[in-house]
Amino acid sequence: MEKPVSRRTILRAAGSTIALPLFASLGPARSARAAAATARPKRMVFLGFGWGVTNETWFPDRNSTGAGYALPEGLKPLERHKDRFTVIQGLSNKFTTEAHWGSTFWLTGANRYGEPGKSFTNSISADQVAAAAFGDATRFASLQCGTLDAANSGHGPGLSLAWDSRGRPLAALDTPVHVFHRLFSGESQSLAERQALLAAQESVLDAVRADAARVKKGLSTADADKLDEYLQSIRDIETRLAKEKQWLTVPKPKPEGLIEPAASMPGHDEIKVMYDLVAAALQADATRVITYRQPVGTLLKGLGINVAPHDMSHYQPGERMEASKKRDAKQSALLAGLLDRLQAIKEPDGTSLLDHTTVAYGSNIRSIHYLDNCPTLVAGGGSGIRLGEHVVVADKTPLANLWLTLLRGAGVQAERHGDSTGVITEITG
Amino acid sequence: MLTTRPPESRHGARVLSAIAAVITSLGGAASAASPEGAFSNASQPLVQAFLKTSCLECHAAEEPEAGVRLDDLPFQITTVEIAERWQKVLNVLNSGEMPPEDKPRPDEKAKREVLAALSRALVVARKTIGDQGRTTLVRRLNRREYRHTLRDLLGIDLDAAGVDTSSLPDDTGTAAFDTIGSGLFMSSDQFEQYLAIGRAAIEAAASDWPRPGAPKPERKTVRREAETQARKRIEALYKNYFLGGFNKAKEWEASGGKSPKEFGFPDEAEARFRMLQYERHGPYLERFLKMPHADTGAYLMLATGNYHHAEEIAVPATAPPGDYLLRVRIGATAHAPPLRRFMEFGVGGEKGDDESGFKAIDTFQVTGTIDQPQVIEIPVRVSAHGPRAWHVREKRYNDVAADQFRNALAKAANGVGLEHALWIDWVEWEGPIPRASPSPIRKHVFDGLAAKGQESDLAKTILRRFATLAFRGAAPSREFLDRLLTVYKTKRDAGAEPIEAIREPMAVILASPGFLYLADPLAEAGPGGRRLSARELATRLSYFLWSAPPDDELLALVASGELSNPDVLAKQVERMLAHEKSRDFAAGFTHQWLGLDRLDFFRFDYELFPDFDEATREAAKHEVYETFHALVTGNLDARTLLKSDFVVVNGLLAAYYGLDDGGSPVIGDAFRVVKLPKESPRGGLLGMAAILAMGSNGERTSPVERGAWVLRKLMNDPPPPAPPNVPQLTRLESKEITTRERLWMHQEQAQCNQCHRVIDPIGFGLENFDAAGRWRTEEHFYGRGWVVKGELAGKVVKKSWSIEPAGAFHGGPAFKDSFELRQQIATRHGDAFARGLIENLFAYALGRPVSFADTDTLDALARTAKDNDYRLRDILQAIVASDEFHTK
Repeated sequence: MEKPVSRRTILRAAGSTIALPLFASLGPARSARAAAATARPKRMVFLGFGWGVTNETWFPDRNSTGAGYALPEGLKPLERHKDRFTVIQGLSNKFTTEAHWGSTFWLTGANRYGEPGKSFTNSISADQVAAAAFGDATRFASLQCGTLDAANSGHGPGLSLAWDSRGRPLAALDTPVHVFHRLFSGESQSLAERQALLAAQESVLDAVRADAARVKKGLSTADADKLDEYLQSIRDIETRLAKEKQWLTVPKPKPEGLIEPAASMPGHDEIKVMYDLVAAALQADATRVITYRQPVGTLLKGLGINVAPHDMSHYQPGERMEASKKRDAKQSALLAGLLDRLQAIKEPDGTSLLDHTTVAYGSNIRSIHYLDNCPTLVAGGGSGIRLGEHVVVADKTPLANLWLTLLRGAGVQAERHGDSTGVITEITG
Repeated sequence: MLTTRPPESRHGARVLSAIAAVITSLGGAASAASPEGAFSNASQPLVQAFLKTSCLECHAAEEPEAGVRLDDLPFQITTVEIAERWQKVLNVLNSGEMPPEDKPRPDEKAKREVLAALSRALVVARKTIGDQGRTTLVRRLNRREYRHTLRDLLGIDLDAAGVDTSSLPDDTGTAAFDTIGSGLFMSSDQFEQYLAIGRAAIEAAASDWPRPGAPKPERKTVRREAETQARKRIEALYKNYFLGGFNKAKEWEASGGKSPKEFGFPDEAEARFRMLQYERHGPYLERFLKMPHADTGAYLMLATGNYHHAEEIAVPATAPPGDYLLRVRIGATAHAPPLRRFMEFGVGGEKGDDESGFKAIDTFQVTGTIDQPQVIEIPVRVSAHGPRAWHVREKRYNDVAADQFRNALAKAANGVGLEHALWIDWVEWEGPIPRASPSPIRKHVFDGLAAKGQESDLAKTILRRFATLAFRGAAPSREFLDRLLTVYKTKRDAGAEPIEAIREPMAVILASPGFLYLADPLAEAGPGGRRLSARELATRLSYFLWSAPPDDELLALVASGELSNPDVLAKQVERMLAHEKSRDFAAGFTHQWLGLDRLDFFRFDYELFPDFDEATREAAKHEVYETFHALVTGNLDARTLLKSDFVVVNGLLAAYYGLDDGGSPVIGDAFRVVKLPKESPRGGLLGMAAILAMGSNGERTSPVERGAWVLRKLMNDPPPPAPPNVPQLTRLESKEITTRERLWMHQEQAQCNQCHRVIDPIGFGLENFDAAGRWRTEEHFYGRGWVVKGELAGKVVKKSWSIEPAGAFHGGPAFKDSFELRQQIATRHGDAFARGLIENLFAYALGRPVSFADTDTLDALARTAKDNDYRLRDILQAIVASDEFHTK
């Protein structure tokens, strides 16, 4: 169990490590120059789509690897970006046996039954490893996007794709409106008002912490550990408040043309708008690590497909397989749209945002009940992997090897991740 | 019953021997188990022999192939590592990867038995290794309990007040029940949600607190005649746009080449479009206007256009917050079929399209006629940020496409469109309605502030009292109160009046651990567990039987110390189960126990099941809850759930089932017991629409889902979970064959057959119920499109077969149809079913998974229950009386 840390301690600690506000205080012009002088920061985006893909039409021909491979039907809409991504076959999470859990262990590689005395355990997800390394530099250490349709979308337990260092689920912002407001609103209040608000929030946290001290007295270790989740959530808010304090005088830059999204929309629009916000968040450097647990149910409904997502994933030739293929094509087209945007956004040094971003796109479920050869596509130059290729690695190579490869490529000093056994040399160098 | 705990580790030999006891007690669930672990005496030699013939040639000592060695693999699965090694063996057998193609094929029968043994062994081993013992973790309130706790504390219904809690996780999915602490997480976002919802709830509760010096709000009744808006609007639309446009377009057509502009059309396309529009919608609107009584009220339409698909009742922004009554005077048309005599009430859905999101709050059966309409009265609470507008509409799918489909069918048959079923005379609102007695919270705050003394002392007193209530009787600490006062002062400094400022610290109380967590820090917890304090017992009891906090009576018994008296406790259990709040227990428990969430996984095909809309599905779920509740309150045999000669239904479900009550119709929205005729296939869970419909995909039945469900829930003999990576056989899709033929391929491969030979026959036995739980004698293969036959229309049937429900339990007796199937489960598996139910109730009540160390306790509970004909209320009494229930 962690020792209780007072918020003041965190404030001090945060003050000493957060670099960017100092940076920003130099003034926009100078900070831009300073930024250009150093290497561009790396960003990581993880997009999980739950119910897998159509086995027959999404994967490239295994016999045609390297750069000259032909894009299969399900990836066709990504044609214009073909030299900006790599498709990898052969990866899987060896511990996953839950055939309907497309996201729970996707980024963690954990063993559900890994800890005696518990019927469910998980471990830190790759994005949170990145967030720990990059998070100090931005207003938000990481951003978890999600959907209200999660239960219907084959993701399995969890609140987002992200799991913290203790293997506890991190909550997502479940609608584009939520994401928009978290990232870009709040500027209407004056500085004094926002300072007062922060002070009020701090006094609220002080109060509940006082009550937690009372409740915790006399609890057994296991109980205290459970209550610690509460205290941890308070600490997380404090870390965020500390950060907000640091960033109080730094305006939330809003990319031009971005407007508040509609309250609800069909699934494909929801994904499109969320992708726009992902691009905007990276562009504004609000965060450098983003996960998105995407909707599948509303996506189908929006496409006019009247097949339940679970049944679609259990497709057989006929209507359900057609539905599955349409889903693949739409998801690919939406991804192509995201890559368009990231490509179009220019960094101060003239390169594109996509050149410094890793976009990992996939699911723990291949299709139907298959959990091997997890569909995996990595785009962008953020991890320095070889792009424009189709790579087939040895069967059952841990997915965690890919996460480790990407993390290291992005400059994160990680020794291992999940059940990793090493990096994937086929895509490095 | 156990009074002391096992002395040492819960994962040692003692636990493993307990597994054997559990398996044996499952009653035929598994063959006799060996004392050493997950493999049974019978299965271990089978697996050993199989390994020897098919695996060990390559995977044995010295230089095992691929580094995988199986000759030293222990049959006692005691660690995660051993379980993983066995899992790998199971995986490669399931995927067909091993033995490799160039080696001799293993005997299919042997492989099947080995797969069955191995799957089951891993299920048992996982349970053993994952056994958390008998420790109940401190836990926070789950979403249901949180809602009910706010309701009881603040005296308001969150739904009626428009306080939305849907942003909180629903807390199901990770553990078996949402009362189990290890599955209840907490995050910073969630903390902020609690704070925000707490603020909204306090605001809703405080919305009619009198402001100092403010005048008493004026109570008003405002009625609107339905014809004044709907009819006027449609009349104008019809005359000008549809009929007017049509006539003008006809004039233009007859004019012999004049410009459409002269007739008011921008171009020819528009003129032709308007003719088409009239043909599409004109006759329907014309009929609406010409209907009798169309001048004194308005007929409700389906969402076939943006006409009169819903009637709005709105309380204007100028009306003060508080309690209001909404009323609708409504009647059904003479020819309206029974299932169209229902009115839905809810918020949203202004445009009648999918996007504007109608959210139903309640459904009402319409018993009035146009000549003698009835008045339906609905209480709501208006608060500053809650809804002020509601809609009533005819019960229907929440999908415009379904309405359009129904209307198109009707139009094809009668040339006009769907007949109207409901007619509204007027709608009105009345309020604010003063409460007979002010809510305790209001009195408490208001009197507290009005008392004499220093403002900060008064505020502190209010907050201390509120916190004590919120903490279910536990006193808040001084430091907490000081901090709350700081929050209060911050608000005051910002200019808020005391009665406003006090709300913020109150909301903080609702986000603090003392409120959110069911924990009692005052008593010492030893390593071997301890007796609960009286207050803890009251809390555990009320969250078990009410999903809500203890009420004044319970807290008084805590204070007086009387709750520890077994007679007093038993009386309280009776009182609580007789209380309305016990419905929340019945719903919360049965929903999760029987896995009813699956019903929401599918979109039901409105073309095939036009009546199985959201409201009907909701009623079908409630049938399950209400039946369970009726067994509790009536102290009936739990096995009644397997077979009964009555159902518990309301007017809607009775209409759906086509049931009446001894010749007279079942009327009303309340559920009640209805005796069944002898030949009825209903009665018991296997006759309930909700249960049958979740064994489908919304379009076709799924004998596999149904069979597996029966094994899991009714026979307490769960098949192993669906394995990953089993090759799927797809060659039969889109062939015109029966479901039974389609599933025949399960017999082809050992990987499938080892489980499906047990599962599928049970599912086939239920094939007389279609995907929406209606009785059928034929199965159809549908083509595209639909046909009209006279007044009726429906999907094109390409081929039909008679249902053949006959079959046999695997290794058990034969049955000829669902009646016999049900009968045999009831007579042969009653004990196993009751055992499963008791285990589930036990886990739900204690908030932890059942442990192997509970075996003795559960055995004793099951024995006592059996001797008492499994009377359900007595089972609950026995669980409450058990040592475990009093121990932490």
